[in-house]
Amino acid sequence: MLGYIASRAFRALVTILLVLTFAFFILNATGDPAILILSADAPPEAIEAFREEWGLNAPLWKQYLGYLWNLAHGELGRSMRDGRDAWAVVSERIPVTLAITIPALIIKLVIGISAGIVAALWRDTWVDRLVMAFSVTGYTVPSFVLGLALMLVFAVQLGWLPAAGADSWRHAILPIITLGVAGAAVLARFTRSAMLEVLGQPFIRTGLAKGLVWRAVVIGHAFPNAAIPTLTIAGFMIGSLVAGAVVVESVFAWPGVGRLLVSAVGNRDLMVVQAILLLVTVTMVSANLIVDIVYGFVDPRLRTARGGPARGGT
Amino acid sequence: MSDASLPSTEVETSGRRRFFRAWPPAVLLALAWIAFIALVSIFADWLKPYDFMALDLRDRLAEPVFMDGTFRHLLGSDELGRDVLSRLIESVRMSLVIAFLSTLIAAGIGVSLGFLAAHFRGWVEQIILGAIDFMAAIPFLIIALAVLAFFGNTLTLFILLMGMHGWERIARITRGLAIAAKEQGYAAAASEIGASPFRVYGAHILPNIASTLIVAMTLNIPEVILLESGLSFLGLGVQPPLTSLGNMVGYGREYIQTAPWILLSPAVVIILTTLAVSVVGDWLRDRLDPTLR
Amino acid sequence: MSALLEVEGLVKHYHVRGGGGLFGAPVVLKAVDGVSFAIPAGRTLGLVGESGCGKSTTARLVLGTLARDDGQVMFDGEPVGSVRDARWRSQRRAMQMVYQDPLSALDRRLTVGKQVMEPALVHGLGAAAERHEKALSIMDAVGLSSRFFDRYPHELSGGQRQRVVLARALILSPKLLVCDEPISALDVSIQAQVINLLVDLQEKFSLTYLFISHDLKVVRQVAHEVAVMYLGRVVERGDPEALFHAPAHPYTQALVGAIPTPRTRGRARAALQGDPPSPINTPPGCSFHPRCPRAEARCRSEAPLLRPLDDGRFAACHFPVLSTPAREAA
Repeated sequence: MLGYIASRAFRALVTILLVLTFAFFILNATGDPAILILSADAPPEAIEAFREEWGLNAPLWKQYLGYLWNLAHGELGRSMRDGRDAWAVVSERIPVTLAITIPALIIKLVIGISAGIVAALWRDTWVDRLVMAFSVTGYTVPSFVLGLALMLVFAVQLGWLPAAGADSWRHAILPIITLGVAGAAVLARFTRSAMLEVLGQPFIRTGLAKGLVWRAVVIGHAFPNAAIPTLTIAGFMIGSLVAGAVVVESVFAWPGVGRLLVSAVGNRDLMVVQAILLLVTVTMVSANLIVDIVYGFVDPRLRTARGGPARGGT
Repeated sequence: MSDASLPSTEVETSGRRRFFRAWPPAVLLALAWIAFIALVSIFADWLKPYDFMALDLRDRLAEPVFMDGTFRHLLGSDELGRDVLSRLIESVRMSLVIAFLSTLIAAGIGVSLGFLAAHFRGWVEQIILGAIDFMAAIPFLIIALAVLAFFGNTLTLFILLMGMHGWERIARITRGLAIAAKEQGYAAAASEIGASPFRVYGAHILPNIASTLIVAMTLNIPEVILLESGLSFLGLGVQPPLTSLGNMVGYGREYIQTAPWILLSPAVVIILTTLAVSVVGDWLRDRLDPTLR
Repeated sequence: MSALLEVEGLVKHYHVRGGGGLFGAPVVLKAVDGVSFAIPAGRTLGLVGESGCGKSTTARLVLGTLARDDGQVMFDGEPVGSVRDARWRSQRRAMQMVYQDPLSALDRRLTVGKQVMEPALVHGLGAAAERHEKALSIMDAVGLSSRFFDRYPHELSGGQRQRVVLARALILSPKLLVCDEPISALDVSIQAQVINLLVDLQEKFSLTYLFISHDLKVVRQVAHEVAVMYLGRVVERGDPEALFHAPAHPYTQALVGAIPTPRTRGRARAALQGDPPSPINTPPGCSFHPRCPRAEARCRSEAPLLRPLDDGRFAACHFPVLSTPAREAA
């Protein structure tokens, strides 16, 4: 078990390092930040001073090592736009994003999982069809369209809720619903198929044949087994708490991490983009790591199948 | 795909019922919609009533026919007096072309890497599996955003970038199938008569796993459409003066209170198209390859 | 004249993990452990043994489709390697394989004709029209009518599929055909047909066969010489009739005894006892001793070599049964 955790943790670290490296070189290979920030017709002395200040004259690998060194010391650099600490710029947005993503996550988990279970237990009834029809929207309606549709109905037509901004808790309702509905739809479909698969297993039929009550079989045997695959997608959703709202935040002008990313990308603010990338990667990879470890406890078979050096299977 | 016929154990029913069992109405509708937008994309230049960039300053923010507008602009016009229908047709073509080309690129990358992993095994396979895990663990939208904005944005680059989406799933499927195929006799037999690996993989294994790959590619297309329209909505995808469905919605957001029809029709087209392709993809999967889940 | 195929001291060991998952000690699986034989041109060597005794591995080592660990294979005066170089490729034209399961050896997405022509295409022989012509004539030779040319493998019967495999092997006019259990996947009623076809083809195209089977009875019908394999080694080699009537090695004796015939009915059968063999952790000494009814102390410590017997046969046994019932005293 320890070896399994260690190997998963090592992979997680490698993934983070890969993202950092990728981000650093991509962002640096795309152009001269000095000219991008100051514009090409800035006086040469100003450009030179800028380059000196940000250490842009050093060779790329030195900049890279310096970057990693600073990261190891908790230094994420400063925003090239306003000179503030990049991490401070990013971190002040995190609670703003979490204010909509955490309630949305709760909606997703509660509605998604229960709808999926209900659909699976009442398979091929109108309940099932309703849930499936709802879940299809989660796959096919882009979140910005859903958000705009909600905005059109509840803000523009009915005038019940504000359309955009973040001035009060009422502003958060539409973004939360938008995020929650889309995620719940995906989760419902996933839970349903996991449940159906488990319900078809011999041990469920054996349990019923032994005379156990249907409810006891479902609660005692089907739920725990169906929970395993559902865990993956839930883990992914937890991992995307910080980054999963880029589009929705833009729709509703919600000033979270996602909007910061879009504007930082527009402004070519390297350090802020990198800080966000790091944040997103670390949350994502940690969530995956936790899911993997939980898996390892729940299902011992996965330990050797997924973690060992002799990776087999498809 | 000649062997796609389903064994039917049921009592022979009427021809019509058998037809609808093989071709459910939802699938027929989806296929019809896909055929329709494909034709629209192909004949876009003949179908457009106006040039999609043409301004009609006398008739700005004209309402569409179904909102008491005139037939001059069937689906209305925008703030600059550009015809929404013409822009929609152009956008459909753009979005479909991007989705199709990107999926081809993803399939090319995925199949090549899957075959490489299956052929060489060992450390080559480990590196490719690592890259697959890496791609699957990273929110692609974030990476795409960064790359796009910093590389500037040309259409070619954008399509290439969209082609990076989904290759990891195709690579994983290809690797699994190719390893299984190699254990089967026909690939070994071809290799043992002296056929080159290119021949073994290209002429034998690829045709044998093609049906599964086609399903995987079909399921990738709606995702690319959603990704592309999302990025275009954020203003970081297809750049003006070119237009795509997401672009139109993004532009229409500014006028959601005064002229909601600007974003209405592209939004509906996005939903219908992703829905139709998903329905067809699921149906193909159930028909051709129930094991792919 | 010298042999077409000479195999000397062929060895293939696999290193596998023992029980206990990741931490199991690595153990050696001796798939093939020093096999030697020779086949003169135009003759058939039958290789017999239980499944898992290394017959198929031997076949692949002989063809050079699997890398050997030790030993030498000489084909037509040239060494056979497993590196896919120019010589390896040109040797493919002269040595071909016939597979056990024709359905899996054929590509279900390609027509029969395309598959029969494929070896010629791969080796760039003739123009398209010539290949087509050649394929039809080979199909005719193996008894497949030209109407099968555009059919797919799943439309054919098992016997027809095996004929396709044969046609595919023969289109390059090879000298050596390695047949790995060519009939064991077929219906009993078809088996005799294919055996007869193989015998006819040998005469017609002066082919040399390495014929692999678990069935001594089948081998006896086609082989000019028989080698019996047990756990990666040849334990007895010789004329099929002599071997069949008076097996010298106790293992051969058990194999022969297992065949129900009127001839053996009266005699006490030498039944195999003990655990079925595993090529992992082969016992010291003679690897057959745990199952041998005649094993003695010497068998547990000293591995017997393949030695000639009086009648020209070879056997790897400390106490071979000689043609006369007299038993060598220990």
